[in-house]
Amino acid sequence: MRRWIIVCACLGLAACAGILGFKSKSTDRFPHRAHVVKGISCTRCHGDVGKPGTKVHIPEEATCVVSGCHDKPQPVSAEAVARIIEAQQYLKFDHSRHLTKANNNCMRCHAGVGDSDADIRPPMATCFKCHESAQRGRKCDACHTSLVEEGTLPATHLAHDGDWMREHGARASSSGDLCETCHKESFCASCHGVNVPALPAQRRFSDPFRPSVHRAGFVARHSLEARSDPGACSTCHQPEMCTSCHTSKGVANNVRGNPHPAGWVGLSNADNRHGREARRDPASCAACHGGAGESLCVSCHAVGGVGGNPHPPGWSSNQPLSAMPCRMCHPSGAVR
Amino acid sequence: MKLPVAMLGVLSATASAEPLRLRADALATTEAPAGLLVLEADGQARENVSAEAVVWMAGAEDDSDGDVLVIAVRANALSGRANARLGRFVSTLGALRAAHVDGGAFRVRLPQRFDLEAVAGIPVMPGLGTSRSWDWLAGGRVSRQLGDSGSVGVAYAQRRDVGMLVTEEVGIDAGVEITKRDDVGARAAYDVANPGIAEVMLTASHRGKSLRSEAYAIHREASHLLPATSLFSVIGDVPSQRAGAVFTWRAAPRLDLIADTGARKIDDDYGVELVGRARLRLDDRGTSMLGGEVRRSGVADDEWTGLRGTARVALGRGFTASTELELVIPDVDRGRGRVWPWALGAVSWECEDWQAAIAAEVSASPEYTGRFDVLGQLARRWGRK
Repeated sequence: MRRWIIVCACLGLAACAGILGFKSKSTDRFPHRAHVVKGISCTRCHGDVGKPGTKVHIPEEATCVVSGCHDKPQPVSAEAVARIIEAQQYLKFDHSRHLTKANNNCMRCHAGVGDSDADIRPPMATCFKCHESAQRGRKCDACHTSLVEEGTLPATHLAHDGDWMREHGARASSSGDLCETCHKESFCASCHGVNVPALPAQRRFSDPFRPSVHRAGFVARHSLEARSDPGACSTCHQPEMCTSCHTSKGVANNVRGNPHPAGWVGLSNADNRHGREARRDPASCAACHGGAGESLCVSCHAVGGVGGNPHPPGWSSNQPLSAMPCRMCHPSGAVR
Repeated sequence: MKLPVAMLGVLSATASAEPLRLRADALATTEAPAGLLVLEADGQARENVSAEAVVWMAGAEDDSDGDVLVIAVRANALSGRANARLGRFVSTLGALRAAHVDGGAFRVRLPQRFDLEAVAGIPVMPGLGTSRSWDWLAGGRVSRQLGDSGSVGVAYAQRRDVGMLVTEEVGIDAGVEITKRDDVGARAAYDVANPGIAEVMLTASHRGKSLRSEAYAIHREASHLLPATSLFSVIGDVPSQRAGAVFTWRAAPRLDLIADTGARKIDDDYGVELVGRARLRLDDRGTSMLGGEVRRSGVADDEWTGLRGTARVALGRGFTASTELELVIPDVDRGRGRVWPWALGAVSWECEDWQAAIAAEVSASPEYTGRFDVLGQLARRWGRK
């Protein structure tokens, strides 16, 4: 019985290792290093690499046998071949044009081929040694046909992992031009556009892994999130957006009665919650009471009104009293 | 409306010719019922001149609408030292809030690694027929590059609606790559109209071999994010703060574990922000993927616990099945139900330049006890390289 348990556990672990992506590296990559160490020239296998239009060259399997070196073709994993095919599909590159300029010296770009069998595709920095520098041009489409379809993200600190939805605001503010190298105008506008018809997550509803702050049942929980993060909504949205949606859904403009609890507006501070709540998240109040609705506040908080001074101690403004909203309470320009 | 329609006509007539690219997306839902058509086009007239447009049309039972989201022409100096945009676009000036404008913007690289950028235009108002006089926005930013991908900058912008001052802000931003694995970013916006800090964000991250860690802090004063013409900008406000750390660990080649541990403070109330998330790719490219998330969020009476499960499985022949399930349990239900469930199941198909998807969405929320919706999408691309 114990033997069976051990066998089952081993099989289970092996299955998990496969699912989690652990794999033997022996057949994952072609043993380039071993060939270099034996002094075999690159063109002995990659003979056609100098033909015009050759992107990434994969020798025919028969090459290993025809060359008289091996009895059978060298095994290469399907993943390694897939990576090469992907490069052929998404990179604009012509080996023949580079061979001449590199004096037929492959090592000038593939410098690491003698060190290990790791991915021998040169890093972008190698390209920039000869080509226009990243700082001056930043033209991704000079080499990449489509970064979006290729699924390539910058390998630097700007890789979009972690909580990028929250982080991008701080990052993009200082590196906006870097964002522009991959993203078009419509990418920013798809969230920050004031007249956006549907957010990206709604338009691509069949991809549940598309990041969005308005994911899944956001409509149900948005009031909890808005109250827990005052001002977060107004970093992108205008308060009018809340009003228009709440009005159309029938949750504002008194369609369903007063949404405030008892004691919201009282005669004394002890039974008066609205002042504290309004200071805590004024954007929430403005969502319904903004614009013409502000007259409701002014009916009590005007100079000489029962509501008294709504400004906290030390409050100041550069606005003239004749400007809105000052003149709503200070029509004569008087400061009490 | 005439201009974008005419432009689309020109673009669609030559849609198959490189380098113009066109994408059309049609969406429909049964609950409203409503339909949406989005047309996107972009192309490069010359090596240094490109253009882009996104327009949409939507229709419901007794209402229809349409608008232009983006329509912009971009020109770059061949040296890469200057570029300019003209049309409708989203303008970003460092630490200041992004603004959707009809106008122009330029950026010039100056000596000593200094950059100068400026934007001016009319803020976009929803609706094609909406227009107001004496509405404008103008601003600029001066920055200096630090290292390969960092910079520090100062920005200023002013916006007026009907001649009245709505926003006047100064912002400072910085992003620096300290080492190959460590970097920091910061932005701060100061409200000049009603003097006070509007928003401050700080973030610092470290990338290890399989673990990425990030510490962040946000300080926000909501009244300073309101238009200066709003009465609610003069009552002063209680700043809110949030700080925490996010850890992203690639536990296995196909398994990512993410933890977000943070705290919030609003007035005298404290709350926690705890998120645990797992993502398992079922193949090396992540075409098929499983995800799970547990979240504890909110402050005081608005705290809630949430569970979410997501799955996407490639079925072959271009078909993909996906599902997303969410359960929200608020601490205080306010008589609106103890549990707010939401679920979506979808099947999508992609072949060459065509893409189609259909989904069923079921939910219950504080607003309604039950809702069932069917969503459909059809997309086609032309001129893809």
